[in-house]
Amino acid sequence: MTDLRIAAVGDIHLGEDVRGQYRKKLDGIEDRADVFMLAGDLTRHGTLEEGKVVADELRGLPIPVVAVLGNHDYHSDLQYEIASELRDAGVIVLDDDGVVVQCGDKKLGVVGGKGFGGGFAGKCASEFGEREIKNFVSHTRHIAEAWKVALKEIVADHRVVLSHYSPIKETLEGEPHEIYPFLGSYLLAEAVDTAGADLILHGHAHKGSEKGMTPGGIRVRNVALPVLGRAYCVYCLDCEDDMQSHEG
Amino acid sequence: MEAPQYVAARVQQALAEDGRTHELGIRVDIRGDQLFLRGQVSGAEQRERLGQVAHEVAPELHVHNEINVVEASAPGEDEHLD
Repeated sequence: MTDLRIAAVGDIHLGEDVRGQYRKKLDGIEDRADVFMLAGDLTRHGTLEEGKVVADELRGLPIPVVAVLGNHDYHSDLQYEIASELRDAGVIVLDDDGVVVQCGDKKLGVVGGKGFGGGFAGKCASEFGEREIKNFVSHTRHIAEAWKVALKEIVADHRVVLSHYSPIKETLEGEPHEIYPFLGSYLLAEAVDTAGADLILHGHAHKGSEKGMTPGGIRVRNVALPVLGRAYCVYCLDCEDDMQSHEG
Repeated sequence: MEAPQYVAARVQQALAEDGRTHELGIRVDIRGDQLFLRGQVSGAEQRERLGQVAHEVAPELHVHNEINVVEASAPGEDEHLD
């Protein structure tokens, strides 16, 4: 059985001053991975000019590219225009939906979107009180429900969830506890645990840590570039010849 | 005299909201008339912009820009998820 190799990174935060620099680091990615996934915060300020830089850096890569947007990409209220630029460059942009990517003889289902916050079980906001708080929590709840439906509907050999916000607090270790509610929500993990997946990738927490798992035992990886310290990481699913996990 | 905690909060907010920086994860500490910036960014220009914005928001303080610039290296070893 062949490995299914997923290259992933988040929070590349490209601006016009670094045009062309990230692309150089993607040279040869087709030899290392079958698909490239980007976990949001592709731009700094969410401007269309930055969106075009990102689109140009990703255009014409020899493997499928799947991306979600992050909070920075929403900052200028141009998220739909940025997504459109990326799609024109051949990038699959998920917005609380799913896609099936053919990777060799395998079908990889990818479900996801930006995600959102709210906090983690026992220390989270509830849909109670002021309309603003209810809107905050219900935004995450709607997203989680959409992911659950998409995961249940998708037909593939493997399923991966791609998010910007974190589904668990374990991969936030290193961040101040006070801002955890703005970094993710347990509702995302609960939805994925209910529907099932092989791996969850997220970004957003620059000072967090790479590895964790959901209460249901699904592996979670924080692929924010400052956490990885590398242009991207490669995760292999279905490794029959080498079952050993390379920790550390 | 304004409490240093409020000044630090105002600087941190400016670093996040100023169009030149939009950097959320920078720690701001004030001791006396010294202001310390700590964290990681991906480029030297961004570090300089953060120092400039902090100086503009708190011109009475001496800004120590201790932010590190981290370059993304080439991808390393793959992780096999069995």
